[in-house]
Amino acid sequence: MSIDLSKEQAGLAKVEQRVVYESGNEMAAYAAHQINYHVMGYFPISPSTEVAQFLDLMKSNGQHDIVLIPADGEHGSAGVCYGASTAGGRVFNATSANGYLYMIEQMPVQSGTRFPMVMNLVCRSVSGPLDIHGDHSDLYYALNTGWPILMCRDPQAVYDMNIMALKVAEDAEVRLPVLVASDGYFTSHQKRKVQTFANREDVHQFIGAQPPVGYPDTLDRNNPITVGPYMNEPDYINNCYQQSMAMYNAEHVYDRVRKEFADLTGRDYPILDQYRMEDAEVAVFLMNSASEIIKDVVDQLRAQGIKAGSIAPNMIRPFPQRAIAEALKNVKAITVGDRADSYGGHGGNMVNEIKAALFTHGNRDTLVISRIYGLGGKDFYAEDGHNLFQFAIDAMNKGVVDKPFDYYGHTPGDPAKSPKRVLKPMKFEDLKTGLITVKKDEETGKLSVRIPPLRSLTKKPKRIAPGHGACPGCGIFSGLELFFKGIEGDIVALFHTGCAMVVTTGYPYSSHKATYIHNLFQNGAATLSGVVEMFWERKRRGELDHLNLQDDFTFVMITGDGGMDIGMGPAIGAALRNHKMIILEYDNEGYMNTGAQLSYSTPMGHRTSTSNIGSVRAGKVFHHKDTAQIMAATHIPYVFTGSEAFPQDLVKKAAKAQYYAQNEGLVYGKILITCPLNWLSEDELGTEIIDAAVGSCFFPLYEVEHGVTTITYNPDEKDKRVPIVEWLKTMGKTRHLTKPEHVETLNAFETEVERRWKILLAKHENPYL
Amino acid sequence: MVTLPKLNELGFFEIRLESIGGLGANLAGKMLAEAGVTGASLNGVSFSSYGSEKKGSPVKAHIRFCDNHTNIRDTSPVERPHVVGIFHESLSKTVNVISGIYEDSLVLVNSNKSPEQLKEKMKLLGGTIAVVDATGISLEEKNRTNMAMLGALFRLCDFLDPEAMKSVIRKSLEKKYPQAVGPALQTFERGFNEVTFQTFELPVGQQMPAFVRQDTPMLGYETQPMGGVITNPGNSILKDLSISRAGMMPHFADDKCIHCAACDNVCPDFCFVWEEQPDKKGRPQMFLQGIDYQYCKGCLKCIRACPTDALSSAREEDGYADEHRTPHRFDLAVH
Repeated sequence: MSIDLSKEQAGLAKVEQRVVYESGNEMAAYAAHQINYHVMGYFPISPSTEVAQFLDLMKSNGQHDIVLIPADGEHGSAGVCYGASTAGGRVFNATSANGYLYMIEQMPVQSGTRFPMVMNLVCRSVSGPLDIHGDHSDLYYALNTGWPILMCRDPQAVYDMNIMALKVAEDAEVRLPVLVASDGYFTSHQKRKVQTFANREDVHQFIGAQPPVGYPDTLDRNNPITVGPYMNEPDYINNCYQQSMAMYNAEHVYDRVRKEFADLTGRDYPILDQYRMEDAEVAVFLMNSASEIIKDVVDQLRAQGIKAGSIAPNMIRPFPQRAIAEALKNVKAITVGDRADSYGGHGGNMVNEIKAALFTHGNRDTLVISRIYGLGGKDFYAEDGHNLFQFAIDAMNKGVVDKPFDYYGHTPGDPAKSPKRVLKPMKFEDLKTGLITVKKDEETGKLSVRIPPLRSLTKKPKRIAPGHGACPGCGIFSGLELFFKGIEGDIVALFHTGCAMVVTTGYPYSSHKATYIHNLFQNGAATLSGVVEMFWERKRRGELDHLNLQDDFTFVMITGDGGMDIGMGPAIGAALRNHKMIILEYDNEGYMNTGAQLSYSTPMGHRTSTSNIGSVRAGKVFHHKDTAQIMAATHIPYVFTGSEAFPQDLVKKAAKAQYYAQNEGLVYGKILITCPLNWLSEDELGTEIIDAAVGSCFFPLYEVEHGVTTITYNPDEKDKRVPIVEWLKTMGKTRHLTKPEHVETLNAFETEVERRWKILLAKHENPYL
Repeated sequence: MVTLPKLNELGFFEIRLESIGGLGANLAGKMLAEAGVTGASLNGVSFSSYGSEKKGSPVKAHIRFCDNHTNIRDTSPVERPHVVGIFHESLSKTVNVISGIYEDSLVLVNSNKSPEQLKEKMKLLGGTIAVVDATGISLEEKNRTNMAMLGALFRLCDFLDPEAMKSVIRKSLEKKYPQAVGPALQTFERGFNEVTFQTFELPVGQQMPAFVRQDTPMLGYETQPMGGVITNPGNSILKDLSISRAGMMPHFADDKCIHCAACDNVCPDFCFVWEEQPDKKGRPQMFLQGIDYQYCKGCLKCIRACPTDALSSAREEDGYADEHRTPHRFDLAVH
């Protein structure tokens, strides 16, 4: 159904409705807050992140009771949700794309052990070259997970399906987790008029104020249960059969629920949405947002006398096989658009299921054309809809399909505009200046580093080219290049997903003058380990001899603080294996690339989009992560912290880092950098803000060399200690902490900073600490 | 019931805002759309260009208005706007801001130039140019550019009620930022009042240029290297980021420079151009030559870092950057 907000229709509702003007993500959050789930475990990923953000904002103002748990990654968020759902309450999550795939092993666990929950999949491409826009490639992975899947074509449907989904999930005949799928950006970020239940009680009346009882509950002490036993053949197939039955039950349960919902609200979502199909000869099948656009095209074709119609499912698991076969029985030709490929499958998942539906129900006559369209968020215009219909019209007229499978909307490109190299590779001799020397004292084992005046180092080419798209005043790039000033010779860099990656590699441009690799930000440390070990092995086999390398590469992994949350495990793994590489973390205290959500490195009380300031809660509620100490505990040769406010200190540490990464093993360094956009601070003050962070002892500059801690700048000794408040008042995200009503949070933060500083001082004094 | 002045074939009046991230076009678009949908009994849809666009990068906001009986199905970007609002005049350097306009479209530009000059700059064939010095107004009123632009947009969208908008502004600010209400309203009001219009008839025999879809790629499957690999290291030097500056820029005074590199250490955009020259004793030494303004986003960190007066901040004036730019001497593969 498309939204029609005429008063007549609103009048069809039996319970009071109100109209809001909101996006799909806002509506998912709004429905969740009305349902008042018990627990949401989440991890930010575009474009679904906003769902948690809106819920956090409402939570900070006391508008719902949902316990929001920022997990360490999507795998963690799925774990949080699974655990919570075994414990008897209602559970909610939202994710997209790679995030969904990262949690996917949990999906059959959730469905196979039969714990209901609702998750929004705000659909986005899963890809190699990173595409963050909308298609259905993540959704298609969901097809085999055993979760019923409801589809949302617009923000209204996102709201309505979210409410119906829970009722389907908890139904006695189903008892399965349900996925609610909407189109990333097209639906998640476009605002529309949406009708909602005016009163939460009416929502609860519909879904039931409490989840149904009588099902496994890990908190029922009188009835201990074993969840998730070790079950092989011959029992497992029977568990699957139960699950299969439940899945097919979901179709008629949904049909009942949607009728009840339509009766209450006047908004009806039949399993298969049919538009002008009564006498249609040609049709197009599309899903979600595009299936709305195609209706305009149908109208235009009808006006030309062409008997056109369109169909779109509101549910694809279970697949509405009978309804589709029924709808197509008199259609001569249909174009099925799949917004994701099933590479090698001669069509996307939907076209093949539709063909199976026709075959199963005895229709051998309808001609089917398969087209893959709209990948990676490529827009779908009415013009495209006309072209899809034309394939069907041509087939109908000829009685045969010329090209059963193809892509639509791909472009060959103009050979005259093919990429031509712009810059020559950097010269090794320019990079190996000899200006920096690192020597090891054979007796003490200590490194002595000599660096020239920083002026001389401007001679060294920058590793990153100008023209990157970072925000004005972004601290990442000044920080990284200052670090690179201390590195001599060639590097191979790996960047985790994050701002630095996104703004330097917007296709077809790259700001990287040296070789660069991106991998998803839970896995960079492992990935670079692979590169490093391949280097040493190929070097050993003599396969790199022809390159006449004058020196070994320095392998550097660049990550944000987000990458050190979700990627903590692989980073520790790489550290324990002690590969010869550097992990450099730029810490801007949040997941800035996805819109400033809290990271574990966000300090207590700081405001982010998932630690909002409201009437009942202000800022992050737990302390910042001490990543440098975590990495130091892996006993790697060298750990350091640094900042652009202390340039000589950072350049020296870079030089040491390079020595260790070429000669001994893994180095971890953290630089604190500004994010003026999300710290709500002045662009020009970046260096000074960091200076104050160091001066307040929030971010002490030190190194841990072979386990021995040395503080390299002690503000107490220099009489330069800055009160924490002086640092906090430079940023909009923390200014509230300077006010009396937040003094408790401020004190807790100050106490923690002081405690960690004292520990560090003790370590500095004692080489065995 | 308000009547929309023009409608396209699907029944929509369409508006596109062209801006750089950080100027508040997204918020202005949201407020404009809400004014129509919740304040003027219209129906509508609004959205911004989305993704990882950062502050300073070109962004668009799209708004479609229709009457309450029109089905909203289209999610594609606004290609044929009846109104274009351009928040940053220099955008036309790198973005075809007037793409797809009709010969009777209204083009609002934040500028202190004359409509004739802007017509030239944007290569507009026909249409009405509306000019408002939103930046000037907001500086004078110590408020945000988007408020002035919003005021001007209300003037262009005369089916919307500016009084209703003012009460929304008042309501949204008075609780948390009561001191901001006055300046915001004044800025909005001046934006509304200070728009000047000039219509340029499409010359006889000429046609408005057809639009190029916004989803048209530079490369294709025959020209794109396999796997999305970029085989062109550092080619971002081809980009012109000068439009990212939102009004301020650094000036460099050679005679006051001590070549300490403090600026180079903090510059996020690698704008400082150095050259090796003999110092007074004839030894090779690095000397700062100037600023490559093509990449400068105007963050002004360098000015804070500079221990002398060699770097100072200034309002950007037309032509200054081109005249005073010291281009990087890249080691180019093609000449």
